[in-house]
Amino acid sequence: MAGLLARTGFRLGKRPSLLVCSVRGEKYMADPLEHATGIERKELEAIKKGNPDPFMMRVMKRGPGTKDQPTAVPSFQESRIVGCICHEEAFYVNWMWLYKGEPKRCECGYWFKLTEAQDPFK
Amino acid sequence: MIKSNHAFHLVDQSPWPLTGALGALMLTSGIVKWFHSFNMTLFISGLIILVLTSIQWWRDISRESTFQGLHTLVVAKGMRWGMILFITSEVLFFFSFFWAFFHSSLAPTMEIGLAWPPTGIQVFNPIQVPLLNTIILLASGVTVTWAHHGLMENKFSQTLQGLMSTVILGLYFTALQAMEYIEASFTIADSAYGATFFVATGFHGLHVIIGTTFLITCLLRHKSCHFSSTHHFGFEAAAWYWHFVDVVWLFLYMTIYWWGS
Repeated sequence: MAGLLARTGFRLGKRPSLLVCSVRGEKYMADPLEHATGIERKELEAIKKGNPDPFMMRVMKRGPGTKDQPTAVPSFQESRIVGCICHEEAFYVNWMWLYKGEPKRCECGYWFKLTEAQDPFK
Repeated sequence: MIKSNHAFHLVDQSPWPLTGALGALMLTSGIVKWFHSFNMTLFISGLIILVLTSIQWWRDISRESTFQGLHTLVVAKGMRWGMILFITSEVLFFFSFFWAFFHSSLAPTMEIGLAWPPTGIQVFNPIQVPLLNTIILLASGVTVTWAHHGLMENKFSQTLQGLMSTVILGLYFTALQAMEYIEASFTIADSAYGATFFVATGFHGLHVIIGTTFLITCLLRHKSCHFSSTHHFGFEAAAWYWHFVDVVWLFLYMTIYWWGS
């Protein structure tokens, strides 16, 4: 059984995924971050680096939101949909398109501006 | 290399939904043909196509998740909800059979002797094999939890042992239940008792077989090091399904086997 497991670990690549511990022959698995691959790995690495929301899916807290200091909304493209939750007890989200170079004002008075997004996975 | 700048998984083109649908159609219409013409060909063909579809579809999902790393946190979250909703639908499925059982057993008709169990039916003694089956499934719930903790604590061997024990207990249950079916003094055609008994326990047995297969798949994937200590949703889904199967059996035991005897 142990031999089979060791061979399984070896077959998976140069880096064996199994670490054999001499205490009671318990085998341990790889570190989850090392085990991950692809976009899942990029997400985990970004979280480890200190960015808990690399895909920008969480609700953003606005800045001052005035005409001089609009809230910066990052985007990889020339436009992005923004949803303003005007006040704490609002029962709808005010959605609007935001275009590059055109700061926009929500009906409640807060301003938004499109900025260039930085690649969170660099 | 990241192909998208969003967290979601837009799957590639795949033939399995179509073949699965065709297989399911052949299976169901095949059952009807079996009942009317005593010919099992369509049913068997449908079953084979459905089994092959399932193997290849889930193989593709394992490839997309473990080997391509496309299952981000939100994708896994979506699948959790999917599994919860599916198990909920299965709960409702079994609810209907329990309804049928209580409909027949709470007010027994003249035709069956105004009694439950009906006159002439020799029921299973609930403290014999059915009780053993209950203990087996409860123990398997413990072993699958042991395996889960082993997985979360990065202990490869303990997970393997837990999963192996759970599978063995599941197979033991199936074997015992099969022997009970063979030895039963009544059939599915024997009044409302036989009908409710075999349909309810029969579907439960089918779910045990499905659950055991799911666990065996997890066992093989674990041996191939697909799971990590934080990301092992396939295992969690199998464990949830297995607990559901256990709970259904407890209800079956208490109502049909015990109260109904």
